Amino acid sequence: MNKTWNLIRVMLKMQFSMAGKSSGEKIGYFFLFIFIIPFSFLIYFAMDGIIGGLYEVLEPLDNQSFILGALFISMFGLFSFVSIGSIISSFYFAEDIEAFISLPYHPYQLMLGKSAAPFITLYITNAAVLGPGLLIYGFHSNGGILYFIYALLIWLVTPLIPFALTAIIIMYLMRFLNLSKNKDRIKIFAGLLMFIFIIGFNIVLRLDTGSNQLGENIGELFIERNALLEMITVLFPSAYLSSISLTQPDSFLGFIYLLILFALSTLVFFFYLTAGQKLYFKGVLGLSAGSKNKWNEKKIAKQIKQNSILYISWLREMKIMLRNPTFFTQIVVQSLVFPVLFIVIIMFDSGGGGFSAAGLNNMLARTDPKFTILAMLGFTVFALGINPASISSVSREGKSWFNHLYMPVKPETIILSKVLAAFTINLITLVVISIIAVGFAHISISIVVIWLILSMLTNWITSVIGISLDLYMPNMKWTDEREIFKGRMIGLLALAAEVVIFGLVILVLWKSSFITGLWPSSVTLFLLLLMFTISGHFLLKKMIQHRFFTLHI
Amino acid sequence: MIDIQNISKQFPGTTAVRDLSLQVNDGQIFGFLGPNGAGKSTTIKMITGILPIDKGFITINGSDITKNPLEAKQKIGYVPDRSDVFLRLKGIEYLNYIADVYKVPTEVRKDKIEYFTKKFGIYGALNDHILTYSHGMRQKVVICGVLLHDPDVWILDEPLTGLDPKSSYILKEMMREHADKGKTVFFSTHVLEVVEQLCDEVAIINNGHIEFLGNMTDMKREFKDDESLEKVFLELTQNE
Repeated sequence: MNKTWNLIRVMLKMQFSMAGKSSGEKIGYFFLFIFIIPFSFLIYFAMDGIIGGLYEVLEPLDNQSFILGALFISMFGLFSFVSIGSIISSFYFAEDIEAFISLPYHPYQLMLGKSAAPFITLYITNAAVLGPGLLIYGFHSNGGILYFIYALLIWLVTPLIPFALTAIIIMYLMRFLNLSKNKDRIKIFAGLLMFIFIIGFNIVLRLDTGSNQLGENIGELFIERNALLEMITVLFPSAYLSSISLTQPDSFLGFIYLLILFALSTLVFFFYLTAGQKLYFKGVLGLSAGSKNKWNEKKIAKQIKQNSILYISWLREMKIMLRNPTFFTQIVVQSLVFPVLFIVIIMFDSGGGGFSAAGLNNMLARTDPKFTILAMLGFTVFALGINPASISSVSREGKSWFNHLYMPVKPETIILSKVLAAFTINLITLVVISIIAVGFAHISISIVVIWLILSMLTNWITSVIGISLDLYMPNMKWTDEREIFKGRMIGLLALAAEVVIFGLVILVLWKSSFITGLWPSSVTLFLLLLMFTISGHFLLKKMIQHRFFTLHI
Repeated sequence: MIDIQNISKQFPGTTAVRDLSLQVNDGQIFGFLGPNGAGKSTTIKMITGILPIDKGFITINGSDITKNPLEAKQKIGYVPDRSDVFLRLKGIEYLNYIADVYKVPTEVRKDKIEYFTKKFGIYGALNDHILTYSHGMRQKVVICGVLLHDPDVWILDEPLTGLDPKSSYILKEMMREHADKGKTVFFSTHVLEVVEQLCDEVAIINNGHIEFLGNMTDMKREFKDDESLEKVFLELTQNE
């Protein structure tokens, strides 16, 4: 037991240690924490609306336990879903796993060690969603002290069963399907799945406008389908036990159900240990062997040809971004999230003064095209500003940076290839915005063409700003690619710089009465952006001179 | 030829290399020895342009690495001590990239890629990602890359680590052939037998400066005839 505990402590230390993190990163985490506070209030009020609405409908019918039932079932689904990625990456794809396999540990002990970090991370979701949910229900039902004690105990054990069951299923699949041969593809697939989940979740939320109304609608559905819901709860015994225990905390039955829930959780935990002992090593051993492609001499010969250094360096950057699962998810998928979310907002917001396709069309028909182009440019700056392709350009190289230093290639060429790669990735965002502009917002083709020209310059400028910042404050000492994107201030700084520069231009033009109409404002914008492009070029050149050869020291 | 004149390198709180001078002539294999942390890698990094030089200068066949870096680097073929780079590229993509960097014409690179990769037994793995290679295979693909442009000066940092005996033998043969063609080979190692077997000249570095510089005959003259290189090495590098 001591040995297992020590292993868990070491693995947690490796995962969460702040050692080696720069003060910038620590400040980043602090700001992240500050930003979470208003976000958690947002979740709290949205949940209060839903639970309150449901409670009003169900309480007179004495069916309010279904709120808890639905909450626990949703949490079961959410915990299982969130665990998939973290379990796969922690159990199978973490670089340190091979170092531990050779140590004298039982498979179940290593599995417990590997479970610690993803399991603890699950409590962030638990605190953000189930915690407020149980509190809100407690307030609406005027729960006594016993309710809140039970709620705390149940809150503590709720993640255990979904986590353990998900891990068992994954270990079983890894054992028999040998998915590890395609580990990069699985990670990329998981990234895409996350993207679909975010968009899907948004569509579901937007199918109805108000959370109160959503609550009432679901409430009505529950009255009609009581039998079905009961059946569903029976499929999730832990949800059933938790709900009954919390609706009758003062009764003997409530106490007994709580005990049964604890007994069930303990049983599942032992089942989890047994499964780990039997299955974990079978999936994890031989992971690093990797897969081999089919040998094809003609294909090899075809690939051998001379290219310009700029082109081959750009191609290398693109291949790395598309092939590395972390880079793919954080850069390519991220560049899709914001514009696609915007489409969802336009398509599914049926009214209420938000951005709706009809509302936007009406608004555009009445305004000076100058404002349309300025608004589109503002949106573009925001969409490109949060794209991490440029701000990770230098950091992506990590400890391999030295390769650029001994090869006979000009530093300017290397950096230019990185600007071009970030520019190319941002083109995805621009294409999606063009589709929104022409397809959904019905903006005239001439405006879209002008916007595209201006956007190319904007894209270049934002890429240069991002790379200059990454040259100035890179993170070269990462051991896991995710560290490049986590807790760094650089993303916010880049966005802030871009908002200040472009925001000022947009504001001045918006307010100015002597530059009106499409062409005068577009030409002014073009000239200003050209000026920024040239200034950006000088900034980047200076940064290369100062930083290129000293980054790795 | 590598000409190193009075170079120094300081890091916060320590002097890694102090006032070091060396000349490695054409047609020579030069062994660079020293305990861990002696300044070997720092010196190699300064020769290859990875680290800026604080004092002194280095020229590669007449090209100053600080003043004319591109010209000097074009003459170097460098095998770093870490071969876990460019992991997401396939072997063939990596070699083609390196050939582009050193401007090797298509026809020449076709022949050389086939010749060297077959010689090292990695031809069949060229279509796989370097990520799937073993340590030895990664080392081999980097060595093949360095040979593509037939560099005047070959610099290898611990090149034999991880290689199987056959590949190790092939590499040593290639180093000899390279030097016999009148080119320069400079390598660092911990394997003293290889130095005894292969090197025309040896330098032993400790605490950032040269403790011994000369050929094996000089060494035998200076130290007792019957003393092995291992004993000489230990004697020279023991810290007070």
